[in-house]
Amino acid sequence: MNNLTRRNLIKAAAATGLAGALGSRLAFAADEPLGITLIVPSPIGDVGWGHALAAGLDPIKAAYGDKVKVTILENIAEGPDADRIMTKTVADGNKFLIAGSFGYQNGALQIARRDPSVTVLHASGFQVAPNFSPFAAKYFQGSYLLGMAAAALSKTGKLGSVSAFAIPELITTINAFTLGAQAVKPDIEVSVVWVNSWFDPAKEQEAAKALIAQKCDVIFSNAQDTPSVIAACEEAGVYSFNLNSSMKKYAPKTYLGCISTDWSPFFKASVDAHLAGTFKGANTFLGVAEKVVEVIDWSPDVPADVMAQIKGIEAKIADGSFSPFTGPISKADGSEGLAAGTTMPDAEIVALDWHVKGVTTPLPK
Amino acid sequence: MNAIEFILSGMLAAATPFLLAALGELVVERAGVLNLGVEGLMALGAVLAFIVVYHGGGHFFGFVIAGLGGAALSLVFAIVALGFRANQVATGLAIGIFGQGLSALFGKTYESLTVKALPKLAFPWLSELPVVGGLFNQDIVVWISLLATFGMWAMFTYTKLGLVVRAVGENPKAAHAIGYPVISVRVIAIAFGGAMAGFAGAYAAVIYTPLWADGMIAGRGWIAIALVVFGTWLTGRIFLGACLFGAVSLMGLAAQATGMDVPSQLLSSLPYLVTIVVLGIISANRRLLKLNGVASLGEPFER
Repeated sequence: MNNLTRRNLIKAAAATGLAGALGSRLAFAADEPLGITLIVPSPIGDVGWGHALAAGLDPIKAAYGDKVKVTILENIAEGPDADRIMTKTVADGNKFLIAGSFGYQNGALQIARRDPSVTVLHASGFQVAPNFSPFAAKYFQGSYLLGMAAAALSKTGKLGSVSAFAIPELITTINAFTLGAQAVKPDIEVSVVWVNSWFDPAKEQEAAKALIAQKCDVIFSNAQDTPSVIAACEEAGVYSFNLNSSMKKYAPKTYLGCISTDWSPFFKASVDAHLAGTFKGANTFLGVAEKVVEVIDWSPDVPADVMAQIKGIEAKIADGSFSPFTGPISKADGSEGLAAGTTMPDAEIVALDWHVKGVTTPLPK
Repeated sequence: MNAIEFILSGMLAAATPFLLAALGELVVERAGVLNLGVEGLMALGAVLAFIVVYHGGGHFFGFVIAGLGGAALSLVFAIVALGFRANQVATGLAIGIFGQGLSALFGKTYESLTVKALPKLAFPWLSELPVVGGLFNQDIVVWISLLATFGMWAMFTYTKLGLVVRAVGENPKAAHAIGYPVISVRVIAIAFGGAMAGFAGAYAAVIYTPLWADGMIAGRGWIAIALVVFGTWLTGRIFLGACLFGAVSLMGLAAQATGMDVPSQLLSSLPYLVTIVVLGIISANRRLLKLNGVASLGEPFER
């Protein structure tokens, strides 16, 4: 796996900036603006995954003005219809495609293979091609930090997570959440409810209430695009946090924080590379160090000493001296997951299919 | 609160959107019309109620507007399906898709916003019982839908109105011959069904999950239609089916939260399986099924 580090980003930005100034500006000056299309499976609201992706394009619009034309296609179900829509937008002359969901992978990859002049960025996949880069966020770095805060605030010693699908990315964030909590309170437990849907607000709220009924008093809204879980937790008076963009306004009293994602540096660097003709497909896994993942809107209820501890860990994650997945780690079934003193490589982190000890809900097989 | 209390206290509220929409569809189908657009009617009701409540119009007014919106859209269905005698299946599907599109359009600027739900009204004494107490602590719409269920049963069992609706559905020619206005009865039934679907959507968007998100009905309209069929067009069985569906879906979530070792995919599909199996067994009696089935369902009426 090729990690995009901040230094590389700066180098790329500088190089393409120069190339942009000398080469592409001249070459493209009289050309059509670059068409950028973002396609996402859910409606884009004020919050959530789609919103975070769309917001990542704003700096590009600001930087390039009328040299780029951004099209956002929202609420496109994964499947044949999405393939058709992506093919259409590329045929319309949009040469830069951001496919915002795992399920777009095959269709988007076909488009990239058919037309080498197209650049595709694909969210959370694993396929790579010269003009096709999968990208994902290291949410787990943020969920570790929030796990520490959750453990400090929990009175019952039980935490919960409402989670969409049992895929490695979500399993990893739950594992890191649990490990972070155990770093503060070793005997803490985490229950998980898989709703088996990316989008069903009513079911997500029911799931949150089921966890609260089991005395979970901090709930992790794992990959919900609407404030369904956050609002239910505010009503029940238990702490909650989520991914992608802040939902503090839906839970002014009990909002614990947000693992926010800022995709703009990555998008900007990729667009620059595309314009300079230097784009190279690579698997990009971005986290706190690249400033793509950041925990924002911390609850003021987190005790000051715990907060200081969290900030210390955050700094260590940023400079690379600490990883949440550092051994010894036992699996939920008691066997050894990671030997003492070793750090799990990214390639294993993205493929995790087991829960760490302390997660009480068995993983669906 | 343990898992059983959680299921008992949440079951009726979880069942209410299905129940309201299915009661409406029951009247429509009893009158001999198949309206498959319930999903879209619910979505429209949901967004209209949400907009009203969001702008401070209050829940009552929100429900009124949702009901009117649902009725209005279902009248479009009535014009096409009854007036022009178009195929009811195709027309219903088209209206359903149209309703969903319309709701997305109206709801564009309200995406992911939230409103306040209604407080729960507790039955004195009964709601303090151990274990089952939660059953008697529900919001007002749940209580009203229980009354509506009872009223619907009484109407079909004891009133002339119920018999007229059934006659129009069973044998429209005969009903016409003895002087009942078949088309008018069907139009009113369709409008009633649309209003009920609108209420069901309103309940989902401003009380049960008090937020708006495009696509939040998530197939509940289809389940309501299925409940009518699997409930063999009988009010009591539809009520049972809705409660069963609500209870089993909550059970799946509670089982996961307590850490039971059951695959979550199975738990997610359990409500569908259990409801179909239970209602299937109840309706296994062929003679009863034939007796309760609506003879002229989906057939256009011509004088």
